[in-house]
Amino acid sequence: MRTHGTVDRRSLLKITGGSVAALGLTAAGCGGGSGSAGDGTVTIRYTWWGSDDRAKRINQSIALFEKKFPKIKVKTDFQPYADFWKKFNTQASGGNTPDVFQNAIGFLRKYDAKNVLLDLREQVEEGHLRLEGFRAGLEKFGEVDGKLLGVPVGSNSMALVVDEAVLAKAKVTPKPGWTWDEYHDALAKVQETAGRAGDAGPYGIMYLYDLYLRQQGKAFFTTSALGFTEADLTDWWTKAAARVKSGVYADPKKTIQAKPKSAVTAELAGSEFTWDNFAVRYTAEGKSRYGLAPIPTTDGKRTGQYLGSLMLSASKRTKHPKEVAQFIDFMVHDPEVGKIMGYDRGVPATEAQNAAYVPSDPVGKQIAAYEKQLVESRVLEPITPHPAGADVCEAAFLRLAEEMSLGTRTVEDAVKQYFTEAKTALSS
Amino acid sequence: MDAAVTTVPTPAAEAARPGAGAPAPAPGGVRPPRAGRASRPRAARRENLAGYLFMSPWIAGFLLLTAGPMAVSLYFAFTDYNLFDAPRWIGLDNFTEMFGDARWRTSVEVTGWYVVIGTPLKLAAALGVALLLNQSRRGQGFYRAAFYAPSLIGASVSVAIVWRALFSDGAAVDRAQQVLGFDPGGWIGDPDRIIYALIALTVWQFGAPMVIFLAGLKQVPRELYEAAQVDGAGPWRRFWSITLPMISPVLFFNVLLETIHSFQIFGSAYIIGSQGNACGPADGTLVYTCYLYVQGFENSRMGLASAMAWMLLLAVALVTAVLFWSQRRWVHYEEGGR
Repeated sequence: MRTHGTVDRRSLLKITGGSVAALGLTAAGCGGGSGSAGDGTVTIRYTWWGSDDRAKRINQSIALFEKKFPKIKVKTDFQPYADFWKKFNTQASGGNTPDVFQNAIGFLRKYDAKNVLLDLREQVEEGHLRLEGFRAGLEKFGEVDGKLLGVPVGSNSMALVVDEAVLAKAKVTPKPGWTWDEYHDALAKVQETAGRAGDAGPYGIMYLYDLYLRQQGKAFFTTSALGFTEADLTDWWTKAAARVKSGVYADPKKTIQAKPKSAVTAELAGSEFTWDNFAVRYTAEGKSRYGLAPIPTTDGKRTGQYLGSLMLSASKRTKHPKEVAQFIDFMVHDPEVGKIMGYDRGVPATEAQNAAYVPSDPVGKQIAAYEKQLVESRVLEPITPHPAGADVCEAAFLRLAEEMSLGTRTVEDAVKQYFTEAKTALSS
Repeated sequence: MDAAVTTVPTPAAEAARPGAGAPAPAPGGVRPPRAGRASRPRAARRENLAGYLFMSPWIAGFLLLTAGPMAVSLYFAFTDYNLFDAPRWIGLDNFTEMFGDARWRTSVEVTGWYVVIGTPLKLAAALGVALLLNQSRRGQGFYRAAFYAPSLIGASVSVAIVWRALFSDGAAVDRAQQVLGFDPGGWIGDPDRIIYALIALTVWQFGAPMVIFLAGLKQVPRELYEAAQVDGAGPWRRFWSITLPMISPVLFFNVLLETIHSFQIFGSAYIIGSQGNACGPADGTLVYTCYLYVQGFENSRMGLASAMAWMLLLAVALVTAVLFWSQRRWVHYEEGGR
């Protein structure tokens, strides 16, 4: 009897032990995304945010890379922008960060502070990653406190995307250096002639308000806090609220429901501030012709603009820093990749790729001309710093501006709430 | 568990039994316990062991996937945890911050409206249709299936997307209202109205409680209605005095289930409300779990999100307790069973 009992217990232990071990194995298997096989083949993981179209272009580029570097395999994954960082955060906190990933200026300090980003300087010194041949000083864009945390793949800048047919009908021709008053006069003319709002409403776009502040010698952020006062924002939003009411800016109830279409392509407004490379998307989305107009100014000269950029960053935990550097190098320098990617992520960052891609479509030509004009007219300035928490500040800005425009919050209340939330975000 | 109890009588029960000493054969043809005090617990232990062995997949799942994470989240609730740095103990700070946060109060308010309006409407629809379907009629099976179907698919992402399209500017619902002479311009962009699109979605899924009501209605003895009819009671009177008391246990069950369910709404609110800003224009669909998700996954404040989750658990437990307490006043059990 006794033996029988112990055997039972022992087999139970075996079974439970076995299942626990099996669970452990599966858990270990989850983490095994990247690694090296016996024959020296190395697998790296690359993730980004963007549309299906971007994914198609990137996968074509990767096929080229794998042909040239047969010992490196690239596993890919992508999400829309809003979901990308949620998944990334979850993976990163589990120590399962992708080896290479798309990044942007607003996230460099945040993830550097969290010890996620690899300093690529070492790989540059070992010759796996070339920093020569970048346009307009872009190689400096991924530098934070002397560390190279990202390598730009393309440059973009804020612009006013306009429906050209609507503007022509209103007899409006935006010129470089036009003022905010001239811009608002133009919007009123569009409203009269086109039977739609002049603009989608710039009040919630953090990057545009940043330009407005920079024109006055301020900025949205300092290195650790907000760079403007409650009075500044109250002024900006009070004027905006009046213009929403008068219909110069589009009815937010309508623009919300038009999403994911933009207010311009949904024919609710004649213009909208956004990144210049988005003009590609507008053309695919809407029926009219879309063009790029300059950012209005305060003093007739200064637009406050800078070049922004999407980048490639590497994880500090990657086991294959050399291969990752080779991959980034290929993606930013190879002319064939430049041809495939086009202006999807902005104007290519390197001279080689920019020369390789000559846009044949009107929108592509416009983007090229727009950025060329920015560089040549010397309006470009150094970029605004983005402290850790900038992304949360951006989301709150958009949300509270929307509440203000819908009238569910007074301007005073929205401003107060914004400063409360921004303070929390920037201190954590 | 029950089998183990019946086959292994406790010494006390043994003594109380007539003719104690010689073990009586256990019911159901189960092997009688071996004689001798020492072997009896061992046999019991072996059977228990076998029981636990069969349960082990579930136990492992429960411990690893439910109990473990819950315990960890309880710990996180008292920490500042941003997913990257080690959690830092901050005591009750998350809770004080929560109560002082205007957006948190908005989320409580939105969820409250959703539960208070949505649940009764849904149950009323379920009971109403169940009463109609309780009469035998041709094609009854078809109707039952047709009304039940929405509750199978209603929680899916695709239905939420369709719902958003239905209630948008210029879409079906808006057009129908225009025909009636209103022009509200779509519900999705209106922070005051979007919650009703969400409530409409939950009410539309009345099929599940309806089926339970139907089962309850079938249990009501015919004689009661016949007797009442003889006494001259009209249909309204019969409903109030017979049907409702007789199905009150089923009603209680449905109220409990649907209320708890409503508190947990997330998917449809997130999808119908999301347009760059998660959870609706001007926080119109910022239900509690939506805000929890925003704090946890967008703002990377897992400690605060955990505290919010535990607050929700407490609130649901409290509401459940109140419902259980209230049932003695309005729930009628047959045969004195309570």
